[in-house]
Amino acid sequence: MADTNSKIPDQPGEKDNGTNRRDFLKETGLSVAALTGAATLLTGSQEAEARVTWAEWFQKSYRLMTNEEQKDAIARLEERHSQEFGKKVTVDGSPAMKDVLFGYALNIKKCIGCRTCVHACVKENNQSRYNPELQWIRVIKMEKGEFLAANMDKGYPKDYGIEVGGNAYENAGVTLEGEHYYQPETVPEKDYFYFPIQCMQCEKPPCVKVCPVRSTYREPDGIVVIDYNWCIGCRMCISACPYWARRSNWGEPNLPAEEMNPKTHYLGNRPRMNGATEKCTFCLQRVRNGRYPACVEACPVGARKFGNLLDPDSEVRKILARKGVFRLKAELNTYPKFFYFID
Amino acid sequence: MRNIKLSRNIFYALLALLMITEIGYSQDAQPAQDEELVKDCYESREDYGYVERRDIEPALPNVICSQTTSRVLWWGDPYDGTIPLGDMPLEADYSHEEAVVTPREKQLKIFMPCTTCHNGKTVPVPKNKEPRLIQFHQDIVPNALQLMHGKGSIWCLDCHSMTNRDKLISFRAEEISLNQPQKLCGKCHGEVYRDWRDGIHGKRIGSWTKGGKKRWWVCTECHNPHTVDANIFLPIKPEPAPALPKGMKSADHEHKEYGHQ
Repeated sequence: MADTNSKIPDQPGEKDNGTNRRDFLKETGLSVAALTGAATLLTGSQEAEARVTWAEWFQKSYRLMTNEEQKDAIARLEERHSQEFGKKVTVDGSPAMKDVLFGYALNIKKCIGCRTCVHACVKENNQSRYNPELQWIRVIKMEKGEFLAANMDKGYPKDYGIEVGGNAYENAGVTLEGEHYYQPETVPEKDYFYFPIQCMQCEKPPCVKVCPVRSTYREPDGIVVIDYNWCIGCRMCISACPYWARRSNWGEPNLPAEEMNPKTHYLGNRPRMNGATEKCTFCLQRVRNGRYPACVEACPVGARKFGNLLDPDSEVRKILARKGVFRLKAELNTYPKFFYFID
Repeated sequence: MRNIKLSRNIFYALLALLMITEIGYSQDAQPAQDEELVKDCYESREDYGYVERRDIEPALPNVICSQTTSRVLWWGDPYDGTIPLGDMPLEADYSHEEAVVTPREKQLKIFMPCTTCHNGKTVPVPKNKEPRLIQFHQDIVPNALQLMHGKGSIWCLDCHSMTNRDKLISFRAEEISLNQPQKLCGKCHGEVYRDWRDGIHGKRIGSWTKGGKKRWWVCTECHNPHTVDANIFLPIKPEPAPALPKGMKSADHEHKEYGHQ
């Protein structure tokens, strides 16, 4: 049985030799299906898979391309996306700026949990809007908690809860478990604070370490990027990321043409395909052209700050110099370039 | 041989079943398509800073607003309708930057300058700055004896010029434009003013680059000075929560009470 499986199906001389009619038909059918698929691809049918051109299917990893090949790849994408979305789509390929290392600071005391950044990010970065709904920023509602003398001895054994590991059934104070799906009338709510998480653009990114095809890597300006075309969709990086920052397109992305942002970057917000992994890039397409990231601009309370870590006069560097800052999960030695601060 | 084939058939059957259920699952709700586009939006403060959505170029709107909260999410042109921030004290390091603000005084022209009534005749110039009940402007301050700023230590005329009501006034009797309230606020709130000047406090949009052009939000674009004692920042409606993962019926598990009843 194992022998017949490895055989090339269309060799007539061998088919009596251990291959029965049923297997032969099945395998021939498969190869015919494969051929038909390739043919659809070549004729440029509007089938989901066939929207990708032949040349795009076989292009190299973006990092290994020559400048000419990169230009060709960008031109192909511009043409395809312009057709697909019915408007002029530009795909930028600008490289990292010299002497720039991007850093981010978020004032955790100011954040009110309004999720404006989340939705601004979606508008800017062409995420799939529904089914799957992908968002690169998540805001967690944290409870400040209350310490009640009445809770002190709850638990087992009765009346001695706190002496035996304490509060087995009731927390005395802060739980810090967080809520993702909160939806109150207004924010901020009394006795809660909010904690946004997104890609930390680590200096030692675990996602880059695990990528088996090296489609995700660090750029010279410190941004961790993904070549969506080279990504095989294995989702190893999603498991590796300790900050839950990466998202997978678990289906054909749904991006309405009228909402599509036509100013894109190859490594940033160009539309993704089914199976590709994506994440925050500090709005690569904006910051490499001097503009603040969309979330920084959207934040109605000014909790989000962005700048060049190599420039001592930048906003981020002044925050690092003047405020109390911390990195999330610093003990993992990922060295994030995303700082939380309190003033 | 037969066993292998049988197990393979079972495997194919299971695979087919898996694929069918996968298709069955992916019937999520699609958002309504012909929703009216929100055009009247606000920037940071819900009772202040209105902006109307329009196209500055074909297919490039000046702002994109949230359909649920009408808050501005995205700026097509961050410098739309701005004026230079104006001269600032020398010690600041923004002298090398191009800073712009959205003018507040244009609102006076659209509605009515304050001096239309407060001209010394229709409404006489008050004799002193002593707090008293006032009949007008109860939409701004419901009870003028309980102004929610400075915990009772200051009153309307400590900030609004008694003689020229279109201007603010400092305790040194310098008139200050409504476009530059930071010059007044900074007189008392020095530490916050310093952070704001350096870009640590407050909001800016535009270019992050050194010396790049930025639009600065001034104090009153986020804080309502008349109610600031009650709310430093007035609570606003949040944007919708993310969709629940497939198969999850509710987010009850997140609540503290869950499982404790």
